[in-house]
Order: sequence, then structure tokens, then C-alpha cells
Amino acid sequence: MIYYILPILFPFAASIVCLAKNYSLSESASLIASVLSITASLYILFLKPSYINFLYIDGFSKIMLVIISAIYLTTVLFSSAYLKHIKNPIISKSSYFLFLNLFVFSMLFSVSLNNLGLMWVGIEATTITSALLVAIDNDKTSLESSWRYIIIVSTGLVISLVGIMLIYASMHTLKITELLINKPSHPKLLVMGAVLAIVGFSTKAGIFPMHTWLPDVHGHAIAPVSAIFSSILLPTALFGVYRIIETASFDSVRIFALLLGVLTVVFASIFLISQKFYKRMFAYSSMENMGMILIGLAIDNKFAFLGAVILLVSHAFAKSSAFYTTGNILSIYKTRDINNVKGIIKTLPFGAYSFLLSAMAVAGAPPFGTFLGELFIIYALYLKFGIVSAIAVLIFLSISFFSLNHKVAKICFSITPEKQVQKKDEVISSLIPIINTVLAFLVIFFVGFINNILTSGMLK
Amino acid sequence: MLYFLSAVQLLFVIGFAPLAAGVFNTLTEKFESKKGPSPLQPYYDLYKLFGKQSVVPKVASSLFQIVPYITFSMYLFLTLVLPIITAFPLSFGPVVDFIGGGLVFGAIGTLKKIASLDSRSNYAHLGTSRTSSIGALSEPIVVLIFITFGVISHTNNPYVINNIMQTSSHWYFSLVHWFVVFAFFMALLVETGKLPIESHSSNEFGMIDQAIEMEYSGTELALMKWGGYIKQFILMSVFLNVFLIPFWVPMKIELKGVLLYAALHLLKMLILILIFSVIQSTVSKYKLFKNFEYVAMAFSFAFLAIVVFYTIGGAM
Amino acid sequence: MKELYLIVGFAQIVFVIFMQWQIYLKKIILTFALSSIIIAAFLFLDGIMLNSTNLLILGTLTITIRGFFIPRYMLKMLNLAYKEREPRHIVPPAASIIISLFLVVLAYIVYHFTLYNITYIKAGSIPIALILQGMFLIISRNNAFIQLTGYMVMENSLFLFAGYLFPELPLIIEGGILLDLVGVVMISSIVIRLREDAISAITEQFEKFKG
Repeated sequence: MIYYILPILFPFAASIVCLAKNYSLSESASLIASVLSITASLYILFLKPSYINFLYIDGFSKIMLVIISAIYLTTVLFSSAYLKHIKNPIISKSSYFLFLNLFVFSMLFSVSLNNLGLMWVGIEATTITSALLVAIDNDKTSLESSWRYIIIVSTGLVISLVGIMLIYASMHTLKITELLINKPSHPKLLVMGAVLAIVGFSTKAGIFPMHTWLPDVHGHAIAPVSAIFSSILLPTALFGVYRIIETASFDSVRIFALLLGVLTVVFASIFLISQKFYKRMFAYSSMENMGMILIGLAIDNKFAFLGAVILLVSHAFAKSSAFYTTGNILSIYKTRDINNVKGIIKTLPFGAYSFLLSAMAVAGAPPFGTFLGELFIIYALYLKFGIVSAIAVLIFLSISFFSLNHKVAKICFSITPEKQVQKKDEVISSLIPIINTVLAFLVIFFVGFINNILTSGMLK
Repeated sequence: MLYFLSAVQLLFVIGFAPLAAGVFNTLTEKFESKKGPSPLQPYYDLYKLFGKQSVVPKVASSLFQIVPYITFSMYLFLTLVLPIITAFPLSFGPVVDFIGGGLVFGAIGTLKKIASLDSRSNYAHLGTSRTSSIGALSEPIVVLIFITFGVISHTNNPYVINNIMQTSSHWYFSLVHWFVVFAFFMALLVETGKLPIESHSSNEFGMIDQAIEMEYSGTELALMKWGGYIKQFILMSVFLNVFLIPFWVPMKIELKGVLLYAALHLLKMLILILIFSVIQSTVSKYKLFKNFEYVAMAFSFAFLAIVVFYTIGGAM
Repeated sequence: MKELYLIVGFAQIVFVIFMQWQIYLKKIILTFALSSIIIAAFLFLDGIMLNSTNLLILGTLTITIRGFFIPRYMLKMLNLAYKEREPRHIVPPAASIIISLFLVVLAYIVYHFTLYNITYIKAGSIPIALILQGMFLIISRNNAFIQLTGYMVMENSLFLFAGYLFPELPLIIEGGILLDLVGVVMISSIVIRLREDAISAITEQFEKFKG
């Protein structure tokens, strides 16, 4: 039984070590904790799902644990290489690791608890622990984006708290195991609560009506923070949405979530066309992917769910890789503007290829897991709502695919200005994106395995 | 009997209105640790003004001269129809209800504005525009308050409302009533030109109502001023008798009770004046454009009263 | 209890409208403290009436954390830094007061047509109104302290709501919510202070935030 809490405990222990305010100590503690926690979560994959009193770990939770720990590990590695570029941090660099560990701790906490209320507490705690990570650059724009992040996300989460209270009013319990089995005393109240909770958690996931914080934060946070946000924080929020949908598995709730997902895809792909800053561009791409995942979670279909999880996993790897590379680009070019970054093929040869490949991966190009995930979701959409809706979503996906890859190709292969023609690749910071891109590709070999995990021991 | 009581009420108001204003001035000055004028000062002022010669602007038409007389008599009419020292309708009581009274007030305001425009003085014009813009926002509050009471009592008759408030502790202690009281109190400060809104000095920056009578002199000015005192007295009486302390107002037609209450009414009035003068000496004046925020607050209170009414489930 | 709830609820609404009116940050924060204390007193009374330890603990927590600790912390932060009032608003105060008022009406209407058929609690629209008002307070102001207060108003209303409607809600959840609130206030105070120092002009446009 203790194994189930191990991945949660390690980051917490590391954050306690970080209190010592010693940079190298906190760095190595975080590294050890992340390695241990990925080991523990990989071990949990092979255990039975757990429904004991306060833990609820089903297949989806297990996969979330693995993804969170994996990105945690790469982020810690990349951060220790990247932090030297930050001249004037808002908190000391050991506190950076402190908050990073707490942040991961709260995410792991949220995905493994057997209580909607505590899950809410965990997701709100991710906001608190990550706000200073966003502002670490300590300049005007990052402070402003950090504040927008805090206030918009907290406001959204209050809405979801209202929803959770309404769910409580209708079910008289917040335990997920009981929520899934019991019949609601007021189905209408449950639907209303579920809708509000979905809106609230979607705020955190960057889903359409309250997504505005997302491009700001991703555009101005430092690369490792953007990566961890985009690849695991948003899915953690979507995990919350999934639990709500699972609880209130009514058609109206599912249609509502689906609609939000479609709107997000439409909105994000339209905004992708006109982006001038490369980090912001990837933020909109994250939105688009989250929209697709939400569509997958909302459709009550085996393929859709599997597709959503595959998309989530491979997007996590690919997007973190893309953001790590943007960090490398930013540290050399000192600008976020696409037009001022030219020909990184000469300056960052490894970086350029991994950048291009990861951009193709996040846009859903064929050899990667994202392609498979999106294919499943669109197939499920076709099964449920007919060809027209599937094609409509496909059109917007291809718009975002072309605009994203066109811009990335321009960054990679345009003519390099003379003064910058010299190799600047660093070993660790260019290796990590490559590993993550490869992982995003390798996901396709594990589809059957993921499917087994998801379907074994589902309560409902 | 009713006719006699009407006459008593009329004389009571005409006689004591300047006193109320005088007491207010004295108390305010006392609060500021000054000696202050005698409470009888308004009487001296009126006496002096009646003895003075009237000067009329050359460009003004005859309307300018008639308006003080008309408005004064309209105030006298209002005195006869509102519950001031009786809780039963006097002989003119059935003529108008609250809305009607409000209309008469509105008519007086309009006449004054027209007359002041007629004087073609810049200050008077300034006062007119200020009064109109604030009035346009504060009138709805008063109307809203009357509507709320209309919803409670199914009538707009001030006497009926007074009786309900006196007899039903449920309504007296209800949140609806107290929201209305607060809103009316805020509106009262606007209507009587008290401090957060208007300061009575010779400084034109703060002038609102005062600027309207800028060009009047002599008898006309005296009537305008006296009318102003009466207006203030009536509004305060209505506030006391219908809203704040509706108790003890005699409901039976009986001369002794009415006369006794008349004395008591002065006491009630004194308390209200005390509150006013505390506000007057502790609050500073808002900038002119901040007045609208104040009015918006008053409006919110009046509106919340209706929301409360529906939230607690209508008439219980 | 119902009457008390009504009075407390409408007092909260009035407080929010008052905050909408004010420009001095100190007054707004003190108003928030007062409203929290009133809510705590209400929870206390409710706890005594229902004989529920949960509510008593919750009342104590509310009064210490929301009534005293957070306002004091914010005021301390305010003293450390900068201007204590916000002279220009995104929405003019008079308009924002009226909009805030109409949000109350909107909440009443929305509640009446949706939840009322299930709960049959007439005063259930008050928390919804407060949430909308808190949100509007966040939208209508540019000052981060006021936005934070708006957020706390929303949370306060939830406590009122939960304390009145579901007194049996597990304490651990409410404790967690309160802990989160403290975290939000502490962290955002750090961000706010630096932000308000860095961003002086209110209407400063960020080219990088467009699109």
C-alpha cells in the first residue's frame, strides 16, 4: 500500500531538503527525488489499481503519475542547466527547486486522491506553488503574467468549487469511489455542478472561455517552467475535468465539455496563424492539443478515451521538448520574436532538428504518438457525430499544423545572419529535448500497454 | 375638526420650519467649537428680507417674479396632504398620494429652474444644470422607494403606509424597510442639500441648489428661502413619520393627542437634526462628479430593498 | 437562523458595493475584514444552534485567518510599498456600482430559474450574487490588491454558502481551502508588490500580450 504514496512523498521530501537554502544540495535532492519518483510510478504501473480509503489510483491516475514524474525528471535536469541564464531571479535558485518540488508534489497529490474536494485543493495548490516560478525572471512582463495567472486561475477555480459544492449537494459525498457508484438525489443539480466544475477546471487547462492567462504565462515564463506547465499542469487540470465527467456521465455534460474542446481547437488554431512570438505560438498549440484531449475525454467511447490519453502522453513529451529548445534559442538570441530568430540550423544544429521534430510532433505529424491519439479521437468523433464534425475539426487541426510548422521551419532553415554562425550547442540542454522527442515517438509502441492499464480495474 | 387640524398643521410647519434650519445651523457651528448664530437667526433673516426692496434683472420676464409665490403656495399645499402631525388623512389628504406629492415636488423644481434660467445669470444657469443632472439621478431613487412601499402596502398613500409601519412590527423590522430607510436617508441628504453633496458657502464650486436663487432679492428671496425651509421640514417629517420612527403619530381624531404629538414631533426632529449636524461636521464634500457615485449608492440601497422583498418571498 | 442569514448575506452584498465605490485600498481591505468577521460570527452562531463542532472550528479559523491575519498581512504589504489608492478605474465607479447592483438582480433571476426548483431555498441567490460581484470587482479594477480582495470576496461567499447550506461538509476540505487562500495571499503579495512597483501607469499596454 505504501508504494502508492511513494511518488508523492519523494518530491515532498526533496522540498524539505531545499529549505536548507543550499543551491547544489537542493539541486541534487530534486534530481534524486525525481529519479526515485519516476521509478516508483513505473513500479505502480504494474500494481493493481487502488481504491483504498483516501487514495484512488486507477489506470488514468497511474499514467498521470508516470508522465508527471517523467517530465519532473527532465525539467529538473534542464533547469539545472538553464538557471545560469537568469540574472536577477525573484527568489533564490534553491527556492526555485523548492517551489518546483512542491509544484510537482501538488500535481501528484491531485491525481491520486479519492476526494473531489481535496483534488480541488491540490489543483489550487499548483497555482500557489507555481506562481513564483512564472515570475522568476523578475521583469515587468513576467510579473504581470504571473499576476494574471494567479487571479484568473484562482477565479476560475472558485467557480469549480461552487460546482463541487453543488455536486456534494446532490450526492452527499465527495469521495470519488462513492461518487462513481451512487445515484444522485438530484440529477439536475449534479449536471449543473458538473458544468460549473468543468468550466472552473478548464480555466486551469487553458480551455476556451477563460484561457487568456495561458499564452501570457507560457510566453513569459522561463523555458523549463513553460515546459512543465504545458506538458503536465494542463493535463492535470484536464484530469480534474475527466473526474467530473466520469462522475456526472450525462449526455448534456459530455456535450458541454465537447463543445468547449471544439471551441478551444477552433480558437487556438485561428490565433496560431498570426503569432509573432515563438513561445506564445507554442502556447496556442498547447491550447489546441488540450482542446483535442478534452474532446477525447468528453466522448463516451473507448477509442476516444484511449486517444486522449495517448495524445496527452506524447504531447507531454513533445511539448516539453519544444519548450526546452525555445529556452536554448532564447538564451542565444535574447528575443522572443520569430522574425528576429533566423537559421538556428547553423547555431544550434541538434537543437534545430529536435525543434523541428518536436514541432511536428505537437502538431500531430504521422510518426508520433500525437498523430495516433488525434486519429483515435477523430475516429470516435466520426462514429458519434458523423463525418461533418470530424472534417470540421480536421480542417482546424491542419490550419494549426501548417501555421506552426511553417513558422518553425522558417526559424530553423532561414539564412543565418553572419555574426551568429558558430555552434553553441550545450550537451545537457540539447540532449534533453532530443530524448523527449524520441519518447514522443516511442509512445506509439506502447498503445496496447496503455490500453491494458486504462481498462484494467475500472470502477465504472 | 379636520379643517381646523389642517390649519394647525399648516401653521405648525410654516412656523417651525425656519426654526429647524436655525437649530441645524447652530448645532453644526457648535460641533466645530464655534459659538454659532442663535437658532432664531432664520427668522431674523426672513424679517430683514421682507423689508428689503426687490431688484429684478432687466432681461427677466414676469415669470421670474411670479415663481416664488407659486412655489411657496405649492409647498403650503404639500403641507396639507402629508402626515406630519397626524396619522389620519386631513381634509386635503385624499387629493394626492406619494407619487402625486413627488410630482408636485418635481413641478416646484422645474418652475424654479425655469425661473432661474429666465434670470440669465451665469451662476443661476450653473446651478440649474447641476441640479438637473443630480436630480435626474436622484428622482428615480425616490420613485423606487415609493414603489417599494407601494409593493408592501398595496397603496401609495402615505397615511396607510404610516399605519402599517406603526402597527406591524414584522415590516418595521424587515430588511426591506431598513434598506428603504437608508436609501431615503441618502436621498434626503441630496434633496436638502446637506454636506457630502453640497456645502452652503458663497463659493460657487460647491453650489448646487443655492445657485438657483442667486438673482432673487427682497420679498421674493424671502419666499424662496422660506419655501426651502418648508421643503426641508416636510421631507424630514415624512422621513421620520413614514420611514424611521413611525410611532406615536396619533391615529385618532383628537385635538389633545395631536397637539401633544406636535411637541413630540419637534423632539423627533431634533434627533434627526442632531444626526444631520454630526454628518455635516464630520464628512467632507465630494467633488461634483463624485456625487453621482453617491447617488448610485443610494440607488443601490433602494433597489436592494426590492431584491430583498422578493428574496424573502414577497408579502408574508 | 434564516433571518440572520439574510441579514448577513445582504450585508455582504452591501459591503461589496461599498468596495466598488471606494478608491482607498485601506478602506477596502478593512471592509473585507469586517465582512469576514461577520461571516465568522454567523458560522459561530450557526454552530451553536446546530451543536456542530465543525462549524465552530470553521468560525474560529475564519475569524483568525480571514478576519485578522490576511487583512493585517495585506495592510503590512501596503505600507511597504507605494500609493495607497487607485485614482483611475477601468470602469467608472458610478457605473460599476450600478453594474454590481444589476449582477445581484441577474443572480436572483438566474437562481430562480435554475436552482430554485431543486433547493427551494429563497435566499440561495445571495452567494451567486456575491460570486458575480467579486468577479466584477476583479474585472473592473486594475489594482492587484483590489483584485485579490475581489477573489477573497468570492471565497467568503462560498464559506457563507457552505456554512449555511451544508454544515456537514468535511472539515478537511474547508481547511484545505483556507490553507490555499493563505497561500494565494502570501504568494500574490510578493508578486503584487513587485508588480505595482514596476507597472506605474495603469493603461500601459503590453505589446507582447496581444493576440
